[in-house]
Amino acid sequence: MTTAPIVSVRDLHKIYGKAGQKQYEALKGINFDVQPGEFVGIMGASGSGKTTLLNILATLDSPTSGDVEINQQSLTSLKGNQIADFRAKQVGFIFQDFNLLENLTNYENIALPLSLQNVARKKIQPEVMRVAKQLDIEAILEKYPTEISGGQKQRIAAARALVAHPAILFGDEPTGALDSNSARDLLEMLTSVNSEQQVPVLLVTHDPFSASYCQRILFIKDGKIGQELKRAGQTRQQFYQAILDALGTFD
Amino acid sequence: MLTKLAFTGVKSRLKDYVVLFFGLVISSAIFYMFEALATNQSFIKANAQVTGASFIFQFGAILLTIITLVYIFYANSFLMSMRRHDYGLFMMLGAKQSKIGQLILVETTVIGTIASVVGAIVGCGLTGSIGALLMQHMLGEKLHHFSAVYGPAVVATIGLYIGLFLVAGVINRLALTKTPVLQLLKGDSQPNRPTLKPVSQILQVVFGLSFLVVGYYAMSHIKQLNLAAIPIALVTIVLGTYFLFNAIFVWLVVLLKRTNWATRGLGNFTLSQLSFRIRNYTKILSIVSILFALALGAITVGIGFNRQIKTMATANSAYSAALVDPSTKTNHLINKLNLATKATYSQKETKSTVYYNAGEFGQHPFQATGLGETTVFDSAKKSKLGTPKYIKLTVNQLKQNTDKLSFLQSGSQRIKAVKVVSASQFESVKGQPHQLTLFRVKDLKASGKLMKQIVKSAGITSYDNLPGSYGLFVMGTALFGGLEFMGFFLGIAFLAMLASCLMFKILSGAASDQRRYEMLNKIGTRPQILRRSIMNEILVLFALPALVGVVHVLFGLQMFKVMMIDPYNQLWLPFTIFFVLYMIYYVITVLLYEHIVLPKLKIDK
Repeated sequence: MTTAPIVSVRDLHKIYGKAGQKQYEALKGINFDVQPGEFVGIMGASGSGKTTLLNILATLDSPTSGDVEINQQSLTSLKGNQIADFRAKQVGFIFQDFNLLENLTNYENIALPLSLQNVARKKIQPEVMRVAKQLDIEAILEKYPTEISGGQKQRIAAARALVAHPAILFGDEPTGALDSNSARDLLEMLTSVNSEQQVPVLLVTHDPFSASYCQRILFIKDGKIGQELKRAGQTRQQFYQAILDALGTFD
Repeated sequence: MLTKLAFTGVKSRLKDYVVLFFGLVISSAIFYMFEALATNQSFIKANAQVTGASFIFQFGAILLTIITLVYIFYANSFLMSMRRHDYGLFMMLGAKQSKIGQLILVETTVIGTIASVVGAIVGCGLTGSIGALLMQHMLGEKLHHFSAVYGPAVVATIGLYIGLFLVAGVINRLALTKTPVLQLLKGDSQPNRPTLKPVSQILQVVFGLSFLVVGYYAMSHIKQLNLAAIPIALVTIVLGTYFLFNAIFVWLVVLLKRTNWATRGLGNFTLSQLSFRIRNYTKILSIVSILFALALGAITVGIGFNRQIKTMATANSAYSAALVDPSTKTNHLINKLNLATKATYSQKETKSTVYYNAGEFGQHPFQATGLGETTVFDSAKKSKLGTPKYIKLTVNQLKQNTDKLSFLQSGSQRIKAVKVVSASQFESVKGQPHQLTLFRVKDLKASGKLMKQIVKSAGITSYDNLPGSYGLFVMGTALFGGLEFMGFFLGIAFLAMLASCLMFKILSGAASDQRRYEMLNKIGTRPQILRRSIMNEILVLFALPALVGVVHVLFGLQMFKVMMIDPYNQLWLPFTIFFVLYMIYYVITVLLYEHIVLPKLKIDK
């Protein structure tokens, strides 16, 4: 592939704590790329730095040094409203705890990113219906998030993440709060979105089953990328085994 | 150990506690100020002008106590909303319920005690400065026996606050220890589906409106209904307001959601926030709107009374004072006044009659504020409460309206008949000759100091013996001054409390909103849009009761038509004062709310 990468991370460092005080370096020089249409997983134990990395990628946190480019735009150059607009337009985010607004209906939750961009009411509706159809959630649009199951909630969250046509979809342990059937559903849905619409997906997880849906997995340990695993034509079961093996030797 | 935990919990949310504490201090300071001014016996006795209002002061103190109760209830719910999660955690870690209950009680009483003591101290300062200034300005005199520190008021304030906090602590304890741990940890996240139930809503609107109509009718017909009008109006208006809020609020939100505005930015979110808490808010909004009306009404009436005293006095007579045979010294003082007119007429007093020389009235016409009973106001000045129109009477007119002259006679002359006779007739009358000096100053209030000297120099001991508008003005001030002071003061105290109630009610919800705003931030909402949404949401909650309150006041002023010339005169003054203060509360609430819910932007550049 010769096209420019969607995500490009160069020598990323993140140090917590002020100079002179006790400091903790969460990221110690991370480098990697995500190509268009890729489905990449980032795996690591608790405290390995994967959440810090994702927060920086999603502009929720700023790096101490190094650069991140998403869709050829350097995140470090963004200021004020640009940061918020960047999150709204370029990034779709799925969280472990859904992060739906329980005072809005599911439809309104999905429409929210478009409303934020002041898209006309008439244009919002077809967009919401499009993702709703794709994710098979048309029947529950008028319900409230508290009235549906966890798996359905995560579908709504996915629909909200996809509705604004983001450049990339981030998942922060999206299956963490789901039962195994719902988790499988969601991962298959993400896979189909990824392959059909060529939306790149970056999944942060510590669950080998979720990771086995990825095409490439980066293992992160103590703030560094320690190992990279590619699926390269293996079946999902084979890849799952490979991940388990890798985790065994990795620790 | 648990106590230590509890206090680290307080420390971590110190800023929010400071807010709560500050609100409590202000409230208790105001309560103290009121008590100190209203109940200081030696002060009231020494200032005869205040005595008349003593009963109203007691009434005001009771009203203030009631609203303080409501206030503390809301302040407490804010306190609890901050602590729920901590307590839930302690219980999950195995803390006994009795221990938690103890903690709550201790925490609540400690806060209450410190706040009331500090409040009493601040109150002393306020009373000594603002209170004294206000009183002095209103009474226009030096204050006697006025002290900022008044023991019984200190005891009353601290006693009431600690007592109320103890009660609140017990209630909190009961409520919290009965709530399941999980619910404490999770808080309430049940949606409130804003549904339209046309039949019940229309019924509510109809009931609400008819209650209001009855209430307004009662207020405007206070003459016929007498004192019964007040309880009738109070009950019907409270019910009417509640029904209206309940019915129209939901409706409004649902309707607004269908507009284009709702799909712009966070419009929909803001509306949903409102509808989310709709049921919780209808009660407090009705309470606030009633209190708003009471407070605004009190200030309006207070200011109105003050203005009316002068108007009533000036409208009563064309002359500020009438003096019989003033000494040269007195005359000298009179000439120092900023005079609008001055005339001296000769009198001859017999046993039953006082004679005047018509010729003198031809030369210097006698002035009046109108013929007959009614006062004619200067139509060039738009206000009904303006200056009366002074007309010069011809000798014939005066002969037909001799009562105008007899009003200006005092002492032994008061009950004697008045006869205006021709110069030759006047010469022939055998009686005690006198000189009657009549004068009018341009501004009664501004001339107060000199007028007092004149009264003293003329040897007049009672204002009953001083005919003319000045005497009426002084007596009116004594009568209504207390009312004005009371209205103004009670209004401000009410406003402070009701706005704080609303503030704490809104802030109580802030803790559970934190997560929502965090979420909105994560999906890329501009900080200004978040801020605007907060401003809009809180604005609605502040504006709705204000709007209804203003309508209540406009109708409620009908009641005062019995006592005042024009209760609607210059409404803008009290309204402006009130709204400025109310807006300050609004801004503070918005800032505090933003402080609690807005996520700190992690990227600062």
